[in-house]
Amino acid sequence: MTAQEVRLSGLLLQEHFGDVVEKVGTRLIRSGVLTLRALAYETKLPLDLVKKSLCVLMQHGMCLFGAGRRGPAGPVEYRIISERILHMLRYPRYIYTAKSLYGDTGELIVEEILQRGQMTMSSTVKTVADRLTHNMPEGQSMDYSEVVSAFSRLVETHFLQRCPPTASAGSSSSGAVNTPLPAVKQPTEPEEHPECYKLPYINLTGQGKRRRSSEDGEADQRAAKKAKTDDSECGDEGIYWQVNFQRFHLHFRDQAIISAVSCKLDQTSSEIVRTMLRMSEVTTPAHAAFTQALSANEIFRALPSSYNIARPILDQYLTLLVDDPMEFVGKTGDSGGGMYVVNLHRALANLARATLESVVQERFGSRSARIFRLLLRKRHLEQKQVEDFAMVPAKEAKDMLYTLLSENLVQLQEIPKTPDYAPSRTFYLYTVNQLPTARLLLQHCYKTVGNLIERRLYETKENKRLLEKSQRIEAILASLQATGAEAAQLTEVEEMITAPERQQLESLRHHINKLDSSENQVDETIFLLESYINSTQAAR
Amino acid sequence: MTEVKVKKESTDPVDIENRIKELCQQFPHGITDQVIQNDMPHVEAQQRASAINRLLSVGQLDLLRNSGGLLYRLKDAQSTSKVKGSDNQEKLVYQIIEDAGNKGIWSRDIRYKSNLPLTEINKILKNLESKKLIKAVKSVAASKKKVYMLYNLQPDRSVTGGAWYSDQDFESEFVEVLNQQCFKFLQSKAEAARDSKQSPMVQRNSSFATSHEVWKYICELGISKVDLSMEDIETILNTLIFDGKVEMTIIAAKEGTVGSVDGQMKLYRGVNPIIQPTGLVKTPCGLCPVFDDCHEGGEISPSNCVYMAEWLDF
Repeated sequence: MTAQEVRLSGLLLQEHFGDVVEKVGTRLIRSGVLTLRALAYETKLPLDLVKKSLCVLMQHGMCLFGAGRRGPAGPVEYRIISERILHMLRYPRYIYTAKSLYGDTGELIVEEILQRGQMTMSSTVKTVADRLTHNMPEGQSMDYSEVVSAFSRLVETHFLQRCPPTASAGSSSSGAVNTPLPAVKQPTEPEEHPECYKLPYINLTGQGKRRRSSEDGEADQRAAKKAKTDDSECGDEGIYWQVNFQRFHLHFRDQAIISAVSCKLDQTSSEIVRTMLRMSEVTTPAHAAFTQALSANEIFRALPSSYNIARPILDQYLTLLVDDPMEFVGKTGDSGGGMYVVNLHRALANLARATLESVVQERFGSRSARIFRLLLRKRHLEQKQVEDFAMVPAKEAKDMLYTLLSENLVQLQEIPKTPDYAPSRTFYLYTVNQLPTARLLLQHCYKTVGNLIERRLYETKENKRLLEKSQRIEAILASLQATGAEAAQLTEVEEMITAPERQQLESLRHHINKLDSSENQVDETIFLLESYINSTQAAR
Repeated sequence: MTEVKVKKESTDPVDIENRIKELCQQFPHGITDQVIQNDMPHVEAQQRASAINRLLSVGQLDLLRNSGGLLYRLKDAQSTSKVKGSDNQEKLVYQIIEDAGNKGIWSRDIRYKSNLPLTEINKILKNLESKKLIKAVKSVAASKKKVYMLYNLQPDRSVTGGAWYSDQDFESEFVEVLNQQCFKFLQSKAEAARDSKQSPMVQRNSSFATSHEVWKYICELGISKVDLSMEDIETILNTLIFDGKVEMTIIAAKEGTVGSVDGQMKLYRGVNPIIQPTGLVKTPCGLCPVFDDCHEGGEISPSNCVYMAEWLDF
């Protein structure tokens, strides 16, 4: 991991799990693979705290364990999966996607599972039903069957998957080390298990329980205890579900492609591409360069009925998509009215290129963006040729090129005419390499998100006193209202916060919201660049 | 009889010269020494040589060499009158400049070709310029370099830079105006096509414009003082492609259709960008000039960042 990624991971771990887990996590990231003893020694934390943090990380699928370098007889070693920690940045986006696809129920299911890391189906259903019932008006409650149906829909479209069974389940609790542990280097892929997406049979009937506010404390404890003992009745113990991040990522990628098509062409073309992508959702492997070939007949049948376009018009749209210079769609054959595929890798490359161009444009101006695009297209150019093609005066062109060069967005290639690299006798060509530039920008993005998080923490810390005061006042107000106090007392308490303090609180809230939303926006850029880099690496 | 003899015998230098000139006119390819000798057998070699030398120095005769021997040729009357009164060196320099033709020649190159010292060259050049025989043209590539060419020649495009340069200055506003005009033309065409609500193929084809159409439109607008050719318009359209606002396709066209070059036509179409400005640039860090110096705990850090403070209060 790079330095920026380590910093960002540390910040995310601290925010979600606290200081202790952050210390353990960053120690593991920095040192690679460690045994328990070594970890405790290096972090200078007591052993049981280290154990608990490792449990938390494992529960969320961020840490793996296995036989170490000394073989099965030696101590167990632990390893962090760094990508999983960075996925924490994207949790809001996953939850929002689930909400837009499957409504509130889906949103809450995904939220619960993300929060807990892994959960059984029955406990998820119960918790979600309780939460939904809490928000519903009096007298209504959420039926378990609705939640179960939402859950099964999520599993059918592969957004949730079963956690891979760990080899040492059951035997490590007794301390016996008889069963050989799998080596740390090969984590089992969840998709390799045949029952990855099979729903267990559970007998769960009933409805969500509404929690009364007066019995808050006791009901919580009782419900918690009940949840633990209820598990064994439902018939699916030991089958844990986790969020399938890859599937969400494929969904985001499809969304990006569809919105690009609709910006470039028109709405109908983007609907056609959406249909094509939907049809090949579960059949295309994750890192494929193209989707499955679909015939025009199939596409015609699968189009949503609201778009009743005639068959020849559909053919015209498909031809236009194929002819477009962006090459989103390609034609691979003529059977069945024409076989069409979506070029996934090329689409990702185009999106990444547009991202790079937009960064250069916003940062350095439209003329520098013109020079940048020119170099992307024409690969290698001399200084004079750059001026001629871009129609920029010589002095300005030189200035812009040198600025871009100093920011490492443009590289210089020397081609000597003579064996000694005499400056007057060498060609100096400017060039842009898309992949290294994308990596550079990705690191910038990580640093930016780290900066935003730190600023948010700083703002919160600065105004801690004010926040605590407002929290106290709210607690007093709530208790007064519950016990039925008079209006005069309420207003008296409210006035304890002065107007400028209220304003300060308001602006603080505004700042924190802005910082949060910009984190999500930068995360979109991170996603595009990461997908592009992964796709080019997979292709090699 | 004696008078005639005397006349004939008198070797008048001017006569000899005139006779040689007449001979040259008779033989426009040039005459050798032998021919002169045959014509005037009574003239001594020395007198002949001095006559020839005089003619050469005045510049009415050209000395050439061929496989046989030396040839003398009559020079053009026009060029003769021009360089009358100049000496050998100036003639040499003038000849070199004349050979350079349209592109002109740099003073250092003149020095190499004529092997004359720099001071001499400068003097001669000043002389020739005052006589209005040559002129100095500033090259657009290197602004300090001056190339010399004959007075009445039109400097070549590579020296002046063509339509985009006026007096050695790149006309950026002119280029910008043309840029915007072409883009507006293509954009309005694309919008008209989109609003026509016909079948998509027809829509796309009608949103295309050939380079010839754009050229005609710009000419009719009349914003350009200089005549622009179709290649000039194509370079402008290329800059629009590099701005990401326009895309181009090439189609095969019959020879003879308006605007086709070598059997192809270039079509241009206005397009929309495929993504919105990306998330990174919506934060101050994406545009920060001191991004690399920013660390937590340093002089510049996220906690005390001025840009962030302003951006948050926006």
